[in-house]
Amino acid sequence: MKKLLIILMFTILPLSLSAHAALAAGGEGPSKDMLKGIITEVNAVERTVLFEKDGTKEMLTLSLGATMQPEDLKVNQKVLINLDKHAEGKVMKDVSVMFMDMTPSKLIALLVIGAIGGLLSGFIGSGGAFVMTPAMMSLGVPGAVAVASNMCHKFPKAMVGAYKRWKYGQADIKLGLVMASTAIIGVQIGIKIQKYILSQFGGAGSNLYISAVFMVVLVFVGGYVFYDAYKLAKGKSEEGATSRLALRMQSINLPPMMHFKTAKIRISAWITIPVGLLTGMLAATIAVGGFIGVPGMIYVLGASAVVASATELIIAFVMGAWGSIQWGLSGLIDIRLALLLLATSLIGVQLGALGTTYVKDYIIKVVMATTMLIVAVSRGVKIPGYLVDLELMAPIAPNTIALLEAISFWSLVAALGSAGAIIIVAMIKGMTADRQSKKALGVANG
Amino acid sequence: MGRKEFDKNMTAVAFAEAGEHDTAKNLLQGGKEKPMATQETAKKPYLKTLIFGTVSISAYILLFKNEKLVTDTFTMGGWRWIYPVCTAFFFSFIHGAFASNLLSSLGIEAKK
Repeated sequence: MKKLLIILMFTILPLSLSAHAALAAGGEGPSKDMLKGIITEVNAVERTVLFEKDGTKEMLTLSLGATMQPEDLKVNQKVLINLDKHAEGKVMKDVSVMFMDMTPSKLIALLVIGAIGGLLSGFIGSGGAFVMTPAMMSLGVPGAVAVASNMCHKFPKAMVGAYKRWKYGQADIKLGLVMASTAIIGVQIGIKIQKYILSQFGGAGSNLYISAVFMVVLVFVGGYVFYDAYKLAKGKSEEGATSRLALRMQSINLPPMMHFKTAKIRISAWITIPVGLLTGMLAATIAVGGFIGVPGMIYVLGASAVVASATELIIAFVMGAWGSIQWGLSGLIDIRLALLLLATSLIGVQLGALGTTYVKDYIIKVVMATTMLIVAVSRGVKIPGYLVDLELMAPIAPNTIALLEAISFWSLVAALGSAGAIIIVAMIKGMTADRQSKKALGVANG
Repeated sequence: MGRKEFDKNMTAVAFAEAGEHDTAKNLLQGGKEKPMATQETAKKPYLKTLIFGTVSISAYILLFKNEKLVTDTFTMGGWRWIYPVCTAFFFSFIHGAFASNLLSSLGIEAKK
């Protein structure tokens, strides 16, 4: 069995590593129409700029797009430039400063989202990414830099969390590595699908696809997890009972069979691989693979919620490290953002990890389901806007669109906030009960 | 243990089992609790928290003082992916160790 596993790892990993099209989980990478470098001179009369491309000493002359004003351009600062694909010659579509100025309020905002994201991550194995990227973007970070920096903060956080939960005897390393190696392939497939949709239906079509996947997965899976947690909480089903689907899957005796000791599962590799693939595909589409990975490990493979969420951290570590290398190769990681998020998320992730030792298995499911369902709302309200862009729906007033955008952002904040609150309350309850029972025990023992 | 103390303990146990924790605590106050508290304090990793905390904070200050240099060299692309990835690893060890010791110092430990 060990041999098989090693063969699997060593064939799959180099294969996927060599795939050039491969980009980080979390969407498409930087496009070819994006330039990174410094504007050295602005010529307001001719409406051109002299641009030094990063890494090379190559100087380019770029023209300003019709809507751009020469005085808005920042000279001698690293910028990201999007070129207009449809224009002739090198015409700039938009310019964004790569490194935002760090004001105290932005710093505090980063520390706060880092802490709650970490707490969630340590507890349910994933989370944070879906709010961190949009939050950073609303602080003025260009999209590609936000995705890259989030990725670079994710893998150290996942590593620390995975280590802690492995020490508590919850993480199944073998299951994590098998899932991660298949998930990396899933990412490639996910990106291929995304690229196909982008080329066929354009940006709005791609956004609609992402939102639709988001909605379907989160409502369906999140709803099921919630229903299951509800049954457990009401005592209608037994805590720790394996789902019927998982039992059926485990009874399929198709070699190679794999045995996962910590998760206490013996299952065919043919069942494990699709779950990993789907995790990766989802990660490439909506940036949060854990939303399918954790329920997949619970309901399809038959692991407990504690083991599944701990194992997800191993997957997040492998995929995050792999993604960070990809984004680092294109030089888009703002290490300051990654480190500020880490400053509090490394505390949060350990707090979340130890929190799992105090709560019942179903609390993890409750937190996971709550997060998924609220995040679904945030994505759902964006759908009308995309439908309008695709001319499938009559135009909506700009005010309504702005309102929907606000609902979308704040529901993400609400998702994070409510999940954080449930974790903290459950943890304090668990700790108090534990202390009281220990005290009583201490007294009884004299 | 004298007989009086034994009786007192048994009464406390009875209250504790009945869910009257405060009464049980009151019965036991003095004598028993203090040595337990000092024992716990002795185990707490205050020194480690301080050392890792200092190293971590110094590293943060050093990096943010040289913000421009760091961001410029770290985003050159190509083989320089090593810079951000290794920095992230470095901070996760140092700052992770600090965070772990900090939680233990605050008395927040995993259930055993």
